[in-house]
Amino acid sequence: MEKEIKQTWHFKQSLEEVWEYLTKPELIEQWLMKSDFKPIVGHKFQFTFVPKNDNKYAGIVTCQVLEVKPFTKLSYSWNGGMKDGSRTFNSIVVWTLTPKDNGTELQLQHNGFTILEDILNHTSGWNSCVKRIEELINAVRK
Amino acid sequence: MTAQTLDAFQVIADPSRRQMLMMLSKDNMTINSLAENFDMSRPAVSKHVKILYNAGFITIKDIGRERYCTLKQDGFDEVQDFINYFDKFWISKLKKLETILNNKTKSNQ
Repeated sequence: MEKEIKQTWHFKQSLEEVWEYLTKPELIEQWLMKSDFKPIVGHKFQFTFVPKNDNKYAGIVTCQVLEVKPFTKLSYSWNGGMKDGSRTFNSIVVWTLTPKDNGTELQLQHNGFTILEDILNHTSGWNSCVKRIEELINAVRK
Repeated sequence: MTAQTLDAFQVIADPSRRQMLMMLSKDNMTINSLAENFDMSRPAVSKHVKILYNAGFITIKDIGRERYCTLKQDGFDEVQDFINYFDKFWISKLKKLETILNNKTKSNQ
């Protein structure tokens, strides 16, 4: 079972250029969502989108800027919920920028899900549980 | 006794139920043997077992007079779906960012 949401991307562009696209609302909107983001620690903002019909998630993500290290690191809380209000969740998004091969390596980590906290952070027992399920499934396939 | 149907996250939000799942991850158990490990009434244990069953975390099989609980994949799938959703979400967004940045670079050249 995948336990972490983590992506690493390489861009040919400079740290400064990639950083702009992470921190300027008019640029963020082009690839992510509409927002009233400001790169100021403590700033509260929202991402909004119009969810497609088959999307179970509500179209508002409530956030607060947690860390801003220009051209290096950016993080914000990411609190969302379901369209039908059945569930809400708190989580944290962390962007890390590193110069690499004349470009930028951008790493995204999306974690700290309070909803999954116990199963994701206290994995020892959970791993054995998942292993047991794998065994069961394999046993059924045989 | 009726037990509500909760979603996977509500199911695992309860420490007793998580403990039950952990115990079942080691071996199949009867409801009675599960109950021995908890400081709660037998009906209370049964209620948790029913919630686990309704959410697809376990199957219950009657063998003789005993009711055996076994782990099942379905409940765990919902948790996995949640993670997969965000994985896909970010991949699509990052691809978009890449396209935008590359087009911008081209038009500047």
